[in-house]
Amino acid sequence: MITIGIDTGGTFTDFIYVDENGSIGTYKVLSTPGNPAEAVINGIQKIACNRQKFIVHGSTVATNAILERKGVKCALITNKGFEDVIAIGRQTREKLYDLSYEKQDFFLSESLRFGIKGRVNFAGEILEDIDEEEIKRVIKKIQEAHVESVAVSLLFSFANPTHEQIIGKMLNEFGINYSLSHKILPEFREFERTSTTVLNAYVSPIMKKYISELRSKLFLNDSLRVMQSNGGSISVEVAMNESVRTILSGPAGGVVGAFEIGKVAGFDKLITFDMGGTSTDVSLINGKLPITTESKIAGFPVRVSMVDLHTVGAGGGSIAYIDEGGSLRVGPNSAGADPGPICYGKGKRITVTDANLYLGRLLPDRFLGGSMKLASERLEPYFKNFAHKLSMNPVSLSEGILDVANATMERAIRVISVERGFDVRDFTLFSFGGAGAMHALFLAKSLNIPRVMIPVNPGLLSAVGMLLADIIKDYSLTVMLRSGKTNFETLQNLFKPLIEKGRKDLREEGVGEKDMIFKYYLDMRYRGQSHEITVLFSDNYIEEFHYAHKKHFGYSNQDKETEVVNIRLRVHGLLKKPQLKKFSKKTTSSGKYARVSDTQAIFNSRKLKTTVYDRNLLHPGNVIDGPAIITEYSSTVILPPFTRLEVDNYLNLIVEIGD
Amino acid sequence: MGYNPVLLEIFKNKFSSVAEEMGMVLNRTAFSVNIKERRDYSCAIFAKNSDMIAQAAHIPVHLGSMPLSVRAAVNSIEMEEGDMVMLNDPFCGGTHLPDITLVAPFYFNSDKPFLYVANRAHHSDVGGMSPASMPLSTSIFQEGIIVPPIKLVEKGKIDRKILSFFLSNVRTPIEREGDFTAQIMANITGLKRLKEIFEKYGEDKVLLYSDEIIKYTGRITRKTIQSIPDGIYEFTDYMDDDGISDKPVKLNVEIKIKDSRMIIDFSESDTQVEGSVNAVRAITLSACLYVLRCLMPEGTPTNAGILKNIKVVTKRGTIVDAEFPAAVAGGNVETSQRIVDVLLGAFSKALPEKIPAASQGTMNNITIGGVDKKSGASFAYYETIGGGMGASAQNDGADAVHSHMTNTLNTPVEALEYSYPFFVTEYSIRANSGGKGKFSGGKGMVREIKVLCDVNVTVLSERRKFSPYGLFGGDKGCSGKNVVIRKNGKIEEKRGKFSCNLKSGDTLRIETPGGGGYGE
Repeated sequence: MITIGIDTGGTFTDFIYVDENGSIGTYKVLSTPGNPAEAVINGIQKIACNRQKFIVHGSTVATNAILERKGVKCALITNKGFEDVIAIGRQTREKLYDLSYEKQDFFLSESLRFGIKGRVNFAGEILEDIDEEEIKRVIKKIQEAHVESVAVSLLFSFANPTHEQIIGKMLNEFGINYSLSHKILPEFREFERTSTTVLNAYVSPIMKKYISELRSKLFLNDSLRVMQSNGGSISVEVAMNESVRTILSGPAGGVVGAFEIGKVAGFDKLITFDMGGTSTDVSLINGKLPITTESKIAGFPVRVSMVDLHTVGAGGGSIAYIDEGGSLRVGPNSAGADPGPICYGKGKRITVTDANLYLGRLLPDRFLGGSMKLASERLEPYFKNFAHKLSMNPVSLSEGILDVANATMERAIRVISVERGFDVRDFTLFSFGGAGAMHALFLAKSLNIPRVMIPVNPGLLSAVGMLLADIIKDYSLTVMLRSGKTNFETLQNLFKPLIEKGRKDLREEGVGEKDMIFKYYLDMRYRGQSHEITVLFSDNYIEEFHYAHKKHFGYSNQDKETEVVNIRLRVHGLLKKPQLKKFSKKTTSSGKYARVSDTQAIFNSRKLKTTVYDRNLLHPGNVIDGPAIITEYSSTVILPPFTRLEVDNYLNLIVEIGD
Repeated sequence: MGYNPVLLEIFKNKFSSVAEEMGMVLNRTAFSVNIKERRDYSCAIFAKNSDMIAQAAHIPVHLGSMPLSVRAAVNSIEMEEGDMVMLNDPFCGGTHLPDITLVAPFYFNSDKPFLYVANRAHHSDVGGMSPASMPLSTSIFQEGIIVPPIKLVEKGKIDRKILSFFLSNVRTPIEREGDFTAQIMANITGLKRLKEIFEKYGEDKVLLYSDEIIKYTGRITRKTIQSIPDGIYEFTDYMDDDGISDKPVKLNVEIKIKDSRMIIDFSESDTQVEGSVNAVRAITLSACLYVLRCLMPEGTPTNAGILKNIKVVTKRGTIVDAEFPAAVAGGNVETSQRIVDVLLGAFSKALPEKIPAASQGTMNNITIGGVDKKSGASFAYYETIGGGMGASAQNDGADAVHSHMTNTLNTPVEALEYSYPFFVTEYSIRANSGGKGKFSGGKGMVREIKVLCDVNVTVLSERRKFSPYGLFGGDKGCSGKNVVIRKNGKIEEKRGKFSCNLKSGDTLRIETPGGGGYGE
């Protein structure tokens, strides 16, 4: 028996595995974008041979199908008179000052949006019946157009799903793939619900094909699960029918990994910081996984639960340039992998990575474990030339480039923390991804975050998160009840069908009753507001709401009538997970034996003697003062002079920020 | 170079993030749908001479109008630390009465303010003759309560007397108070963040770079003007009427460009009118700023650097520079769009590749008020409806979207039916409404609402007579249409601006204009 977490990334597919004895291994292969299953299957065979496997997989298949617009041909069935809701959207434009603005179109040509008779009102009462003959005619047209997948989204279907169910049954009889809006997202706001349903219809057949291929290469008693965007895993059956739930699969793994590793190490308030080549993802963990239902992908709303990530266009490959007003900009354009930064050998434009190297903070011989030598000799003319244009010296230019890039990332972190009313001094910055640890300490310093944590294998954290994830299922329903007209018992009763469904689904996934945890939430607002906040459901939920409103928004109003908009159930199915290995701490020591060499690096315009350490040789209890550089295969940690690092019992690096 | 390009970028980032964070707070803490969902607000930071340094605006109609408010506040009241001044007087720095501005001084161990922060939000009722305060009025006095610059907050405390006086004059006092609280919180947040920046960098550096950011935008403005061929470009277009008489209202602009200088002259526009479509100068400035911003690189900070480099000429007492006591409720929403149309029309002669044909040129303001039979509660619903965008040299115009000066969200059909006694019978893209051409104009929209109790409806819309123009041989977009379908099936075609009663079971149908086409 071997447990494997697999994360498909743009460049590499990462594997992390644990065997019966608890020993952990990692493996990395180049991704195969044409057919991602190839890399996954090769890796599995290499690692597991003929052993029985328990696999959790973070898949980008659904995401890429949307981003690259390579889903299947779809049709939409909706109410007559409302065929264009999906094209109108919220009637806004994404770019305010674009005179030739073009709307994103929805993979649905006008001729494949069908309006049918039949209306339900907000109370779920049927005002007009559907006409089955009409639907048969629509299905015929759908077949003639060679449509592969149909989205059905009717007004108020969550209040009464009868019409959608009848249509679903008819489509099923004709053997057509379909997605029903009340099943994918039983919540009000027709555009967002329809968008989520259409995206599901668009990608599910592709996911089906992908998973079938993977499964055909596994044994019958192997288990394959898919990571979903909400931080839990789901069975492949659900993943195939509700693929829209997997579009943040990989990043969700990273957040779960940070959450679980942080918790074990004693830190449950984290700001995660995942800096890659072109962009940086940040999230805020305040004792629980951060979840949002307001995400978008490629501009399309997706309202299923997802980990709450904020992304900015700054990364190691971001290009520095002077704009036409004379300001130094960094990103969002990136040198990518080709041509890449100047120091990769081909690039001609200065990037963030080049600036780090120019300052001596990256070691040309130890990049990617020494497997790729950086061309530091190429830098000088580019930096001299650029600095000359700005009447600066190359060192201040390099530091300036990093300052500007850090300012962008600092702003991203502020958006999810300070601007949401959190005090960052209570948090630990959890840094992962290839480039994160080169910037994390500087960011923490300027944001007043007291501490930075860097886990083992920071480049594989998403895959680690998949190993550590539970099954999580989210259920919701719009009920729209005024507080004056409802009470605790009514709401309890409304939860019942959701609980039933959750229990049944979990049983089908093989989870026993004692391993199920049910969490109840309400989306509430003051009547007349148009945004809801989610509170825990308890017998004094109204008080909870006032309190939460005050906390989030700075005020509450006890006299104002409240409204329960949605009820939400989150069900955890606890899985047996590998334990993180704990080492006993030796006496505090300097970690001298991990020293590789000394180098010169520039901090605050001063060249300082900087010791280089090999992370693999560090032991729990080792303490290192900055300035220092710690290298490992997939990442480099830069410790500026104002920092002190200690290795904890799990081999995480914990860095305190000083003055 | 007198500045460091690194610090310039960092301060650009800092100032705009302060403005944006203020906006976040305002949005999160506001009570009314208008602010939360329609994003009808903006936040900004000003120098001590009232020059704007940075602004976060979600709809362009706010772009140019705040500096005049701040100037009015600073000139008429000495603000001490902890004070905040509010105002909405359109003839003293405001735009129309629902837009209320709140200004706060920033002190940093000093006797005089170093900077100011301000925010403006559209309050959904400020009294006057009709609910939602967007009436078909003939004088400012019918439009609601007029607030000259006055301290709402003194030394950190709300002046309850002023507040209760104000609240006694509006229909929805609780909501107003909630929105004021949000506006105060937004300013407090701005002041707090400025303090952090001053502490970190020191006052000299911050003040130097607040000035450099304005110069930065100035440099980009001059480069943008330089990229436009020298010449004199003129354009005239008409508004359907003022809602009182049938007479069209002429708007004319002449743009003179020589090297990096630009004069925008509206002197030949009609004199102000009896109805409520008069625009005060602040609105005209907003429209000019919007058009320039469209020609400038994305992400350029909006600040005093733009207006320092152009000259906008308006004649007092005209439709684009109305004088007291003109009715101005609709100037902000309708006339602002036509000012953009004439500006773009003139620029199209200089920059044919960049400028699109006319977009729908209206916001289609609908107000429905009444008493819900079931609950006995009175309600007032306000919405605006998108239409077609004009086609450009690159592509077809977008369908069914808000254009130019606004960008507010629609209300979902399901949200509408939950909250109001309405039944939506159609919400669609209006077929064949875009002007034909090499590239077609975007299509307008159809919104059809059946009312389930007796109501009063007020519609303030444009482009019902004069269609959005096409360019370079492209056809005009379809003009809009307002129709009432009585319960017995009788169809009544209405004017662009009207107010009438509907009985339960009657239907209001709005068809919004399409955009103009581009090229043959």
